[in-house]
Amino acid sequence: MSKSHLFLSQKMKSLLEKRKSREALEALILISVVTCLNMVFGYFAAAFAFYLSFFKWDYIGPMEFVGLKNFMVIFKDLWRGISGAYFFQAPFYTGLKNILLYTAIVVPTQTILAMILAAFANQKIKGVQFYKVSYFLPAVTSPVIIALIFIWLFMKQGYINYMLQFVAPGFAPDWINDKSYLLYAIALVAIWGTSGHFMVSFLAAMQSIPRDIYEAAMLEGAGPIRRFIYITVPMLKPMIVYVVVLGLIGALQMFDLAWVMAGSNGGPGGAGYTMALDIYNEAFINLRPGVAAAKSIFLFALIFSVTYVFQKKYKVMVR
Amino acid sequence: MKYSKALEKTTSLVIALILIIAIIAVAWFAMRPAAPPPTTTVVEKVYIRFAGWSAGETEMKNYEKIIKMFEEKYPDIAVKYEVITQMFHENILASFGAGVAPDVFYLDSAWAPIFTEKGALYPVSDIVSQDFINQFYDFLLEPFRGPDGKIYGLPKDWSMLMLFYNKKLFEQAGLTKPPDTWEELEEYAKIIADKTGKPGLAIYLGGFNRYMPVALSYGAPKPWFDDPGDASWFDDPAVEKTMEWYINLYLKGKIEREKQGLTPYVVSPQDVGAGWLGDAFGKQEVAMVISGNWMIPFLADQFPDFKFGEDWDIAPVPRGPEKRVTMAYTVALAINAKTENPDAAAKFVEFILGPEGQKELVVKMGHTLPSIKGLENDPNMWPQHKKSLSFKYDIVQIFLWGPKSGELEGKISDIMASAMREEISIDEALNAMKQTVEEMFRGG
Repeated sequence: MSKSHLFLSQKMKSLLEKRKSREALEALILISVVTCLNMVFGYFAAAFAFYLSFFKWDYIGPMEFVGLKNFMVIFKDLWRGISGAYFFQAPFYTGLKNILLYTAIVVPTQTILAMILAAFANQKIKGVQFYKVSYFLPAVTSPVIIALIFIWLFMKQGYINYMLQFVAPGFAPDWINDKSYLLYAIALVAIWGTSGHFMVSFLAAMQSIPRDIYEAAMLEGAGPIRRFIYITVPMLKPMIVYVVVLGLIGALQMFDLAWVMAGSNGGPGGAGYTMALDIYNEAFINLRPGVAAAKSIFLFALIFSVTYVFQKKYKVMVR
Repeated sequence: MKYSKALEKTTSLVIALILIIAIIAVAWFAMRPAAPPPTTTVVEKVYIRFAGWSAGETEMKNYEKIIKMFEEKYPDIAVKYEVITQMFHENILASFGAGVAPDVFYLDSAWAPIFTEKGALYPVSDIVSQDFINQFYDFLLEPFRGPDGKIYGLPKDWSMLMLFYNKKLFEQAGLTKPPDTWEELEEYAKIIADKTGKPGLAIYLGGFNRYMPVALSYGAPKPWFDDPGDASWFDDPAVEKTMEWYINLYLKGKIEREKQGLTPYVVSPQDVGAGWLGDAFGKQEVAMVISGNWMIPFLADQFPDFKFGEDWDIAPVPRGPEKRVTMAYTVALAINAKTENPDAAAKFVEFILGPEGQKELVVKMGHTLPSIKGLENDPNMWPQHKKSLSFKYDIVQIFLWGPKSGELEGKISDIMASAMREEISIDEALNAMKQTVEEMFRGG
């Protein structure tokens, strides 16, 4: 290698480094904007909520340190609920019980449904774009609007019951006003609203599965259902973990649908009452922001541990 | 090529800088305590912030109009009108927490004790003349009177409950007059259901404040809850009897009747596909509801073909064996205790609440009733409102149950609703109500 050559390559290297450091600077500036916002509206708010959970406050007067008293309110409520008190005497327990059932219904169903929808959308059939758009449409619609529309559909004399009479004659529940059906109605709306969104994630993952695996399977005589179960699903595992984790986080802190469909008191028998609704009521109806903060921390701990355990169990890199 | 790359870099740097500057600017504007007084004017201008909710665009426009008139009269005061459309009191509380509460704001009677007790309000009676205060109906001032006897808010308007009845359905059922007693109310509802096939009466599932006139008209003591011992209110024989009757209205009128295959004579608005009582009545799905003056403009606006006088009319709330009682709901204008300009705020409150202001904002609007005396016969007063003012009551009970009115109303109503849905028995409901009051005030 000649001297001039060496000089040139060194110069190139320094230029490259310079460029890299400049790029890093740009990146830092751009990231800092979002980080600042996140600090103020995310971390500061979270830290303040944690701090608040040890205080009694009424928004107007000074804060009074009460130690773990706010957390005692939660445990008393839970204890009471376990001992069989009415829903209105143990609201937090009611919210917890409902949200766990809701999550158990919504998360698996929306994940499986999203996967099936994605499998359909991944086919080379005519008008596939139309299906993709129509599946995704609920994801870009406000949940409040969706809930309002579904209240109409779910009415006793509504469209859903009208359709049901052809499938299951005589089965026409009062979805919104019957405590045995309210939570299922809310879950149904949630599934309808989120499956399309997660379908897109699955579709992206499916498109990255190498074609030759399918071809090999086809040569071995595997049909479409077998190919889906034995190739698509295992190859989608990282995406399934991602979708389930996001689904769990979303479902456990559900507020909007319950607020619109059940009302702030959770509707008949408190069947639509959720933990997030209870936190809101505690903060702004009962005017105990300290207790509301303690309840939020409980909810955070629940979401954190559930998602942590899930991720730990299915140790995979999430893309 | 090089040039375009350099340009690209510069552009991204510039964008990043603009973003940072924009955020700093927004943060600076947001965190500024209030608009600073301009330094160029000779007369130093005082700014006050006024917050209210809005009952629609017309109300907002009327307020803007009256604020303009105020600013013309007092050129040294400028008013910034802030409309908080949702969760008003929650927003105001949060703004107190953040130290940026408005100078003048709406205050619902049920929320008044919370603000008064915490010293958040400026005593209006210290700054406004007694003559001005004397113009108001006395019972409307009560919720805003502090423990020290001072007045912390002046009512801007009010509404009361009355019986709305559908004249055509009454005619079809062969009824010639509205019910006068609670027994008649139930009896008429049944007759209407049997004769017309439409439910006679709609009530809310729950609704402690709607039940209250029944209890008081049977001689129950005035409700006030601020101590665990106050739970004994639910032990009063009149309360026990009327609570049972009220819950049974729905149990017998709806649930039992449907079991028998008959038209229910009592329903909730949701049972007839309506959002609230006004909606159920306007759609002519039910013959009677007990609701407030706020229903009058709603009916006029949403159901223009359903005419007052011809198709529907109003009557006093039915009476009990002891008394005739109605509920009153009022909202005041309150002044922030920490306002820097109490005098300017008081002038504004006087202007809005004085006869001129109320003529414009209350009487002409036709949403509610004026809170000062002497406007009953104003030519602009809607005939429906005028008629409601002519009803005679032994007690006009303000919606206020003590320092935790909102929480109490919600919890007792939930228990009532639960009993109306047959989830718990009436005895269990009464016990749960007592327990709720005891617990609410035991912990402090």
